[in-house]
Amino acid sequence: MDNEESLSKYILDSEKLEINNFNKKIKVAFLSSFTINGLSESLKVKCSKKQISCNPYVAGYNQYNQEILDKKSGLYSFSPDITFLILDTRSIFGDLFHFPYSVTKSERENFVNQKITEIINLITKFNETSDSKLVITNLSLPHYSPHGIAETKTNYSFHDAIIDFNKKLKEKLLNINSAYVFDFFKFIIKHGENNVFNFQNYLFGDIKISLDYIPYLANEFMPYIISFLGLTKKCIVVDLDNTLWGGIVGEDGFDGIRLGPQPPGNAFVEFQKYLKALSQRGILLAINSKNNFDDAIQVIREHPFMILTESDFSCIKINWNNKASNMQEISKELNIGLDSFVFFDDDPINRELIRESMPEITTPELPHDPSLYSEVIQSLHDFSTFQITSEDTNRGQMYLEQKQRTESQNSISDISEFLKKLNLEIEIKKTNSFTIPRISQLTLKTNQFNLTTKRYHEDQIKKFSEDKNILIGCAQIRDKFGDNGITGVFIVEKTNYDEWFLDTFLLSCRVMGREAEKAILYFILNEAKNNNIKRLKAKFIPTKKNKPIENFLPDCQFYEKDGVWIYNLDKPFNMPDFLTLSEE
Amino acid sequence: MSEKLFKIISKVMNVNYENITDESNPSTIPSWTSFNGYVLLYELESNFNVKFSIDEAMDVKNIADIKRHLKNHGVNLND
Repeated sequence: MDNEESLSKYILDSEKLEINNFNKKIKVAFLSSFTINGLSESLKVKCSKKQISCNPYVAGYNQYNQEILDKKSGLYSFSPDITFLILDTRSIFGDLFHFPYSVTKSERENFVNQKITEIINLITKFNETSDSKLVITNLSLPHYSPHGIAETKTNYSFHDAIIDFNKKLKEKLLNINSAYVFDFFKFIIKHGENNVFNFQNYLFGDIKISLDYIPYLANEFMPYIISFLGLTKKCIVVDLDNTLWGGIVGEDGFDGIRLGPQPPGNAFVEFQKYLKALSQRGILLAINSKNNFDDAIQVIREHPFMILTESDFSCIKINWNNKASNMQEISKELNIGLDSFVFFDDDPINRELIRESMPEITTPELPHDPSLYSEVIQSLHDFSTFQITSEDTNRGQMYLEQKQRTESQNSISDISEFLKKLNLEIEIKKTNSFTIPRISQLTLKTNQFNLTTKRYHEDQIKKFSEDKNILIGCAQIRDKFGDNGITGVFIVEKTNYDEWFLDTFLLSCRVMGREAEKAILYFILNEAKNNNIKRLKAKFIPTKKNKPIENFLPDCQFYEKDGVWIYNLDKPFNMPDFLTLSEE
Repeated sequence: MSEKLFKIISKVMNVNYENITDESNPSTIPSWTSFNGYVLLYELESNFNVKFSIDEAMDVKNIADIKRHLKNHGVNLND
């Protein structure tokens, strides 16, 4: 299923692509210590398949030092969004690759430390000059060692030195916000050294990733692009019969379905474990199944080998409705757009229905063999984010609480009564190393209650937080059902002594409709007043998705003049009394 | 006719099939860079199920050289 086209096909296809034919665009630079021809072409084609225009810059052969150190280099004038720095063990280790034991153990250790220092210096230089994210590969571990089988009896051996290099690189980069390690070591584990490295390729043209495997590497780079553009999927919607278990519960019965430690039931156990792990890192799960509710829910609640429990699903639709209308309802209930869903169903007719009626949803083809289901999801590369925040890991729980809130809302007819009983607390927080990644993530992912939909990456948020002319913060929102985490962001430009401008104002969809935005605005207006500001200005930039915030400014007594919304600060602003506002 | 061979060359080098001759070389096919030359050999290896040595790879100066090496590996081009 993971079969790749040949590199020459990618090169040809990329020549036929227009550069700017899609709305989503990204500039990607490639720096490397060896020949990587074909990589940018492969990535361009893969991006186009996701409706992304990828504009690449490929630095000259082994020119990465010069490109990074020279402030006037082509790299910097290209101004990439993401830069891949691809290194290899032979280039980094030089003569020590072949003769690691021509020096002492402590010299090998010093060598690794020195190389790490050199690379960190390069990264620092790069960060000083560029706003691009930097993805740097770690080193592959050759199976070869001049010590042969005695390698494992050697203290700080050649192989230890490479592993130590990778460990130190990772540790150093943990503290550098915009730099990330690409695990090339793992790439080789996945595909095998004997496949990826080929002496002829290497000796003929310093090609250290053989031509067949260049498209595979491009594949592994796709999650960075997806994540950068905020296109990460949020929810997997699964079918039940022949998807989470083998067989049809309505026909085969509770005891007849295939789910358990023996084949073929173990394939479904394996797939469920994979889904559970995804849900634990923040990907939501939902069910869309045509079934008798009682039959199916009994399996979920009582089957001894079910791995996923009812509470793992943020939304459950088990009924006889058509799956497209169920999908609409799931989208509405979870408050996330259709383009954030992956639909996973073994029935080709259902897949076709969803593909035709809701093309925004990613609907992968499924193999007949359930033992390959996990691989299908893995190969989508659609769930990656640069960083996992605590909001991500608690998301499933938060949506469950949301479900309870909605149920509670349904039982109360008066919305203001409901809001009063929620005991909403809004805590305004400043920027720090914990909140910056989350603030950036919210600007990248929030579409609905977002006044201007400006997307900002971590390094930009960090710069704003250091800028005296910018007021930036976020809001942690709690209620009686639980903690929603950081779910609001504001960025205010201190234009001059009289005026401030609301650059960014957003709320995550899961806290919409509770008037928490008024508490955040109240905070901003108070700050402005305390600084003797006369007017707060704002703009509403309409998009396809941000209708929910359309009336926010007029509702909060802003008036419009020449396309700009203005709030005069001599007017008092009242925050609803059921909200509790505090500052960190 | 070396139809299969010329089709592969046409695809990899992105040139018209009719413009390829035994004498075609990097100066008559502008897209024949050293890297594309290598991509071509790679494609030929998988399509004809052969393995070129590094000497053979270095020796290729035009299409006739490629044919010669393919024949040495027992490939029948029906010429």
